[in-house]
Amino acid sequence: MFGEHAAFIIPSYIITVVVLAAMTFKAIWEYKARKAELQKLEDEGYSRRSENG
Amino acid sequence: MTTQAVEKNTGGIWALANPTRFTNFANRAIPMFAIATVLLFAVGLWLSFNAPEDYQQGATVLIMFIHVPAAWLAMMTYSVMSVSALGTIVWRHPLADVSLKAAAPLGAAFTVLALATGSLWGKPMWGTWWEWDARMTSVLILLIIYLGLIALSKAFEEPSESAQPVAVLTLTGFTIIPIIKFSVDWWNTLHQPASVSRFDKPAMDAVFLYPLLTMALAYMALFFTLHMMSMRNEIMSRRIRSLKKAKAQQRKAK
Repeated sequence: MFGEHAAFIIPSYIITVVVLAAMTFKAIWEYKARKAELQKLEDEGYSRRSENG
Repeated sequence: MTTQAVEKNTGGIWALANPTRFTNFANRAIPMFAIATVLLFAVGLWLSFNAPEDYQQGATVLIMFIHVPAAWLAMMTYSVMSVSALGTIVWRHPLADVSLKAAAPLGAAFTVLALATGSLWGKPMWGTWWEWDARMTSVLILLIIYLGLIALSKAFEEPSESAQPVAVLTLTGFTIIPIIKFSVDWWNTLHQPASVSRFDKPAMDAVFLYPLLTMALAYMALFFTLHMMSMRNEIMSRRIRSLKKAKAQQRKAK
């Protein structure tokens, strides 16, 4: 499909997909981890005044 | 600032300058931006893979559709960070620092992508993986600045302590942005002069220009999605930090 330049085009797209996917999964994973940690602290009775209204 | 102006500033976009309000806004906006990102990437990739081969570059023109947006985003992210740095220095707003620190790893990733895909494009077109020409060297310096800023922001125990030095270094480093942009005009480089952002019409045929611009919009939508997600994560980690401090103080008091 890409002719003689396939060896350059395919790695370019693979690197791009890997980096963009890694950035996305890192952001999702961090969100889940921090949400769980905040929930744990709140369950222990600690919360910020600003969140209590 | 007049009282009326202050009252105006408490509404609209200024209301988001409160971390809790920003988090609530981000919770609603992130899914919409994520959907826009997926749609733009779908259209952009469809247009890219249906574009004809370039008469000189052949199929390697496909690399342009991912390389050029990555390079644009590397510079745009740094510009966002510089505006955030102004917010830290002028208004000392903690959310500006959150924005700056959340954007830095994203900018570094886009710069790595620009360098890697550029190298993979350069080999078949120029016969070399790397050349110390002005454009490539200045983008490499941008990557080093990003890494330096990330390292500096992690060198302090308290995020508030690193806010000012990181903001000052960010603004100092902004000098690299016009150097990258105009390097192709100021020096003889392997890169051609600007072919899209010109005062007259773009020097690129529409069959390549539309996929390129759609992919650039997709990259931008992805950046704004990830930036909001990273800012929300940074706000949460600062809350965790302060709650842990309160917990430790209560234990100490007992």
